[in-house]
Amino acid sequence: MAAVPMFALAPALPEIVLAASALLLVLIGALRGERAAGLIEALTFVALLVAGFLVVTQGGERLETFGGSFVVDAFARFAKVMTLVGSAAALLMSGDFLRRAGINRFEYPILILLATVGMMMMISAGDLIALYLGLELQSLALYVVAAIDRDNARSSEAGLKYFVLGALSSGMLLYGASLIYGFTGTVSFAGIAQALQGEGHAGAIFGLVFIAAGLAFKISAVPFHMWTPDVYEGAPTPVAAFFAAAPKMAAMALLVRVFITAFPGIVDQWRQIIVFVAIASMALGSFAAIGQRNIKRLMAYSSIGHMGYALVGLAAGTAEGVQSVLVYMAIYLVMTLGTFAFILSMRREEGPVEGIDDLAGLARTQPYAAYGLTILFFSLAGIPPLAGFLAKWYVFAAAVEAKLYTLAVIGVLASVIGAYYYIRVVKIMHFDDPAGAAFTPMSAGQKVVFALASIVILILMLPGAPAPLNGAALAAARSLF
Amino acid sequence: MKLALITLLPFLGAVFPVFSIRYGRNACAALAGAFTLAALVLLLGEAPAVYRGEVPAWGVDWLAPVGLRFSFFLDGLGLFFATLILGIGLLIILYARFYLDSRNPMGVFYTYLLLFQGAMVGIALSNNVLMMLVFWELTSLSSFLLIGYWRHLPEARQGARMALAVTGGGGLCLIAGMLLLGHIAGSYELGEILARGEVVKASPLYAPALVLILLGAFTKSAQFPFHFWLPHAMAAPTPVSAYLHSATMVKAGVFLLARLWPVLAGTDMWFMVVTPAGLVTMLVGAWIAIFKDDLKALLAFSTVSHLGLMVMLLGFGTHMAAVACAFHILNHATFKAPLFMSAGIVDHEAHTRDIRRLGGLVTLMPITATLALIAAASMAGIPLLNGFLSKEMMLEEASHTVFAGTTWLVPVLATLGALLSVAYSARFAVRTFLGPVRHDYPHHPHDPPFGMWLPVAVLVVPVIAIGILPMLAEPVITRTAMAIVGGPLPEFHLALWHGLTPALFMSLVAIAGGAALFAAFDPADRLRRSLPRPEAKRLFDSVIDALVAVCRRFIDASHTGSLQAYAGATIAAVVTVGLVAFFDAPHAAGERTPMPVNATAILAWILVLGATLAVITCHANRLLALVLTSVIGLVVSLSFLTLSAPDLALTQISVEVVTTILLLLALNLLPKQTAPEKGLGIHLRDGAVAIVAGLGIAGIAYAVMTRDFSTISDFHIAQSKPGGGGTNVVNVTLVDFRGYDTFGEIIVLGIAALTIFALLDNALRGAAARRLDAMRQGEEAKDAHPLILVVATRVLLPLALTVAVYIFLRGHNQPGGGFIAGLIVSIAFIMQYIASGYAFAAERARVNAQALIGAGVIIAGLTGIGSWFFDAPFLTSTFGHLHLPVIGDVELASAMGFDTGVFLTVIGAVMLSLSQIARVEQRAEREPVPEGPMDNRPQPVGGDAPALTATQGAAK
Repeated sequence: MAAVPMFALAPALPEIVLAASALLLVLIGALRGERAAGLIEALTFVALLVAGFLVVTQGGERLETFGGSFVVDAFARFAKVMTLVGSAAALLMSGDFLRRAGINRFEYPILILLATVGMMMMISAGDLIALYLGLELQSLALYVVAAIDRDNARSSEAGLKYFVLGALSSGMLLYGASLIYGFTGTVSFAGIAQALQGEGHAGAIFGLVFIAAGLAFKISAVPFHMWTPDVYEGAPTPVAAFFAAAPKMAAMALLVRVFITAFPGIVDQWRQIIVFVAIASMALGSFAAIGQRNIKRLMAYSSIGHMGYALVGLAAGTAEGVQSVLVYMAIYLVMTLGTFAFILSMRREEGPVEGIDDLAGLARTQPYAAYGLTILFFSLAGIPPLAGFLAKWYVFAAAVEAKLYTLAVIGVLASVIGAYYYIRVVKIMHFDDPAGAAFTPMSAGQKVVFALASIVILILMLPGAPAPLNGAALAAARSLF
Repeated sequence: MKLALITLLPFLGAVFPVFSIRYGRNACAALAGAFTLAALVLLLGEAPAVYRGEVPAWGVDWLAPVGLRFSFFLDGLGLFFATLILGIGLLIILYARFYLDSRNPMGVFYTYLLLFQGAMVGIALSNNVLMMLVFWELTSLSSFLLIGYWRHLPEARQGARMALAVTGGGGLCLIAGMLLLGHIAGSYELGEILARGEVVKASPLYAPALVLILLGAFTKSAQFPFHFWLPHAMAAPTPVSAYLHSATMVKAGVFLLARLWPVLAGTDMWFMVVTPAGLVTMLVGAWIAIFKDDLKALLAFSTVSHLGLMVMLLGFGTHMAAVACAFHILNHATFKAPLFMSAGIVDHEAHTRDIRRLGGLVTLMPITATLALIAAASMAGIPLLNGFLSKEMMLEEASHTVFAGTTWLVPVLATLGALLSVAYSARFAVRTFLGPVRHDYPHHPHDPPFGMWLPVAVLVVPVIAIGILPMLAEPVITRTAMAIVGGPLPEFHLALWHGLTPALFMSLVAIAGGAALFAAFDPADRLRRSLPRPEAKRLFDSVIDALVAVCRRFIDASHTGSLQAYAGATIAAVVTVGLVAFFDAPHAAGERTPMPVNATAILAWILVLGATLAVITCHANRLLALVLTSVIGLVVSLSFLTLSAPDLALTQISVEVVTTILLLLALNLLPKQTAPEKGLGIHLRDGAVAIVAGLGIAGIAYAVMTRDFSTISDFHIAQSKPGGGGTNVVNVTLVDFRGYDTFGEIIVLGIAALTIFALLDNALRGAAARRLDAMRQGEEAKDAHPLILVVATRVLLPLALTVAVYIFLRGHNQPGGGFIAGLIVSIAFIMQYIASGYAFAAERARVNAQALIGAGVIIAGLTGIGSWFFDAPFLTSTFGHLHLPVIGDVELASAMGFDTGVFLTVIGAVMLSLSQIARVEQRAEREPVPEGPMDNRPQPVGGDAPALTATQGAAK
């Protein structure tokens, strides 16, 4: 095997920095013990910022290393920035919660860091092996994070369930990858695309099915979503907040990259899968959320639904479709982080609360928080002119352009039903009588994330404001075609 | 630019009331009014241009890629609506100043009101359907806030939520409709869409687009069957009801239908859907209105009825009907808003809106009563008032409308609607204001301050003026109707007297019949009570409740938290998708001829099948299940042997043995039986999923194996000797070709061992340790450490070590190598643990496993680095031959150093895990450290002591 000269590693510099920081921080943690938790949290945040800076300054062209296994293009940069934002924000707002819950172990930020490295590797994967490596690095860290509150039976159960189902889906993905390799004789995405030109073969399509199943699990699309509500509810809230943001972005990016760059020849076959998964996710996300009383479970079903909407864009299979997916995911990320920043702050003197009814009368006890949350929820519901509407409009327009009328109309109808439960929460906040004392004040980190998210959602309404986002997403989408 | 300013002025103004409230309520109202007035003045400044036939337009890109533009235009229809919105808005602002007392937060109210006003103006002036959607939803949101303004009232909260659920949901449908419409027309600019009516109507997507747009319009304009939300929204303060629910917002749906009239109207589908919807709404609304005792509820349902009338007119699809519709919109706004405001005044003054507790107010509040009576008469369609004119035009249009082949249906029903409207107008007017003065009003009423009746008066002026001199309204109506139909109109004149037309006759019937119905109110009420009366709110609530219940039940049933169910669903989903893929894709059988079936294969097959079936039946017993599973592993190694891969077979066997034994040791600490399981149904379900999935996998395996494909192994086999200096391809691959991977793997192995150590270490402390101590001991075999086994293993130990060295040395060319050798050493040690007990073995195992792992990794790493001194990349290998006495020719490859590292790491890893398991087991068994070297029994139990001594003696 030929050695890789050092300079050729430059495209992977952000990942290398993150991985090296993780190792360094483990050492610090091991030597200084739990006292170092705060320091490590801060350093992890810095490392994520540095990585973000490195990603942004990588320039616009397509870079490759590790013999094409690791690809950095505009698409990767876009998705990586979003992922880093998700991880950094999740970290920023969770410290306070973990401290109060007495589970602020120093391993938590490091695991987030390792998961982020895995996500970035997923995003940059240029072949099936890199895909699997990144995915497992991310997943293993997430399995542990899900069960981080190990003295809590529900958290442990959630972690275990996630692990078992995750292992099952990883196994399927590997099986699919081996089928694809068997039928095409190559693991590189470009090579697979070349081998599958013309008529797709049943074997390769089976491989595709298995890979799709494995990836659908990671973005918690129906019918591979079962773990999501249990994990969101069972795991500590910061973990749910993290799960809802960065890993979804990374897995969606990976899904898009695999389908668009490796299987462009059999787009009709995978489109069926994506359409099915998208419709099922949108429908289940909407209907299932209606009966929920726990806000974390609500967000779990909401995230399932949102993944369905994002997949509508992918189903189009065009550059515009991919662009719409990226815009959707970016806006989803902002909305979900903002919402979770608030959920993390839902705490009374006696401890954290998670019931939707606990929000009653928020408009009177904490008017600013109530207005911020109202903005976020209306945006999640996709009500114009908030950013969530913009996101939905993009994916539906892409679907219509690709002549997927049924899909677009079903999507809109699902969002009508979905709007019901978001509006219900808003109604409870604004019109119901306060259920109890006001929540304890938000921590600084939560405030920052919450306020930024609400403001971004508002700013995106202004004429011209979404243009940079669109431009970046379009450049990113084009780099895949 | 000016148009954008007109739209934005109310939004700008919305900022101020909240902050200016500290300067008093007058300042607050004045500011709100000033912004509205400014917008109105600007708008009227554009009016001359519009009446010259120009269409001022202005726009900038908002989101160019999706077609969203910040783009406005002003034609007759837009001007007409915007003037209504701003003009009545101004009056409402004045009215609300006096209506709301100091207990109500007025600043917030004006803010919401201006937000709403801006959104409405935006709808009227939008030249881009997407921007119109934005404003559309904004009206839903701001009206939600306005309706829920009195949040202490539960009806207000429910009303607000219901209104938002219905109109907001409809708005989302409208999004889909607009998406399709824009897609068909190729543009989202309204101007361009309106010019492409023929293209739209010819498109196959016309029907879905129409349905979705109508859903949006009908929900907003409270058309049957969505009419139920409007009366409940009346919980809002009266200024809101007057503004939103009579004059403006509910007309947004009508406006939309009028706006898109050139594109959508004129088809059979349009006629067959829109006309009946409007007609039914008109009748149902009017019928309910008659019997409402709450003044505002009565007016609310009458609004529903009038909206139905307008929609019906648009549904007719003729030019004259469009003229009638425009005229009626104007008239309705001028008489309905005063009625709402007078109802508010009555409520404000008499402290009740219940029609049964009112009456005779005309003497107590003469100004209000006079104005209200005029407006009510207009609503009833009494001649010389504007309501009469437009209603007659409606009847005229209805009289020559043929529906479903019948000429009489629409005219009769339209007359019936008019008749009902006379009845409820009469009830409103007569029961409230006329009749004897009562002495039991909750509060003694008198006329309000002029600020409250002035807006009413201002609006009643046009009611009379147009009623007497209809030509006054002609230019406005002409311009508006032209904009609706998008072209020239037939010759028409608004006049009081058209001659003895059928419409006049119908009007007379309506007035007479309405009066009769009012007179016969009590029998009619009895009739109504005997009819089934679906209560819309209860229906809405029960539908929602049922939906919630169904969803909850579905989720409870499908998301039980059971891992087995989740895994089953996952696998079932993949199988289903796979099946679909199978039938969708070409799936010819492979060309490769299968190998002949021989006895070994059959034997292996029977073994695997038997073991599988046995595992299924015995799976409750964990130890047995594990042993049976290992059978499968051994058969796999057998198959490697038959397929000429002895090196793989060797690896497989040793890995299988080590893992099985380690697992057995670990399982010893867990309950021996699995938890009891649920019923047969679940077994069958899981069995079915498993069988189908297994068949699927088998099918795929068959498909793969019946095809020729080239693999990377050919390259490795060819290059093994020349490139790596060995003929054992597996070993050469491990230590040379993919040395990097192996290096990584032994590190992982080491880490895994350390993790096992750390995890099990935990088990010796805290809660886990207490559980261990409390563990109930199972029945021990009397012969726990059989003598023969003890002796045999001890004799075997040096032999096994020798074999391991041999395997290690030959590894490069023959089956073997560091990995296998390491496993063999490990097995030799494990045997000691099993045969002589943990305590005995742990006492004597003085190997520092951690050090072994570290040494292994370091040796492997150093070997790799060594190649740097020869200017070769990391882990480049070289080889030579060495002649040793006795053993003979030994090939020495630098890879052997690397292999040593592997060897040591494997031993270290296994030993570390083993010793840690041993510590835990020891604690669980409370086994003492034995004293003699051959202590092959646990603590002497009872009278066994002599036997023990004898055994020991014999062994010595």
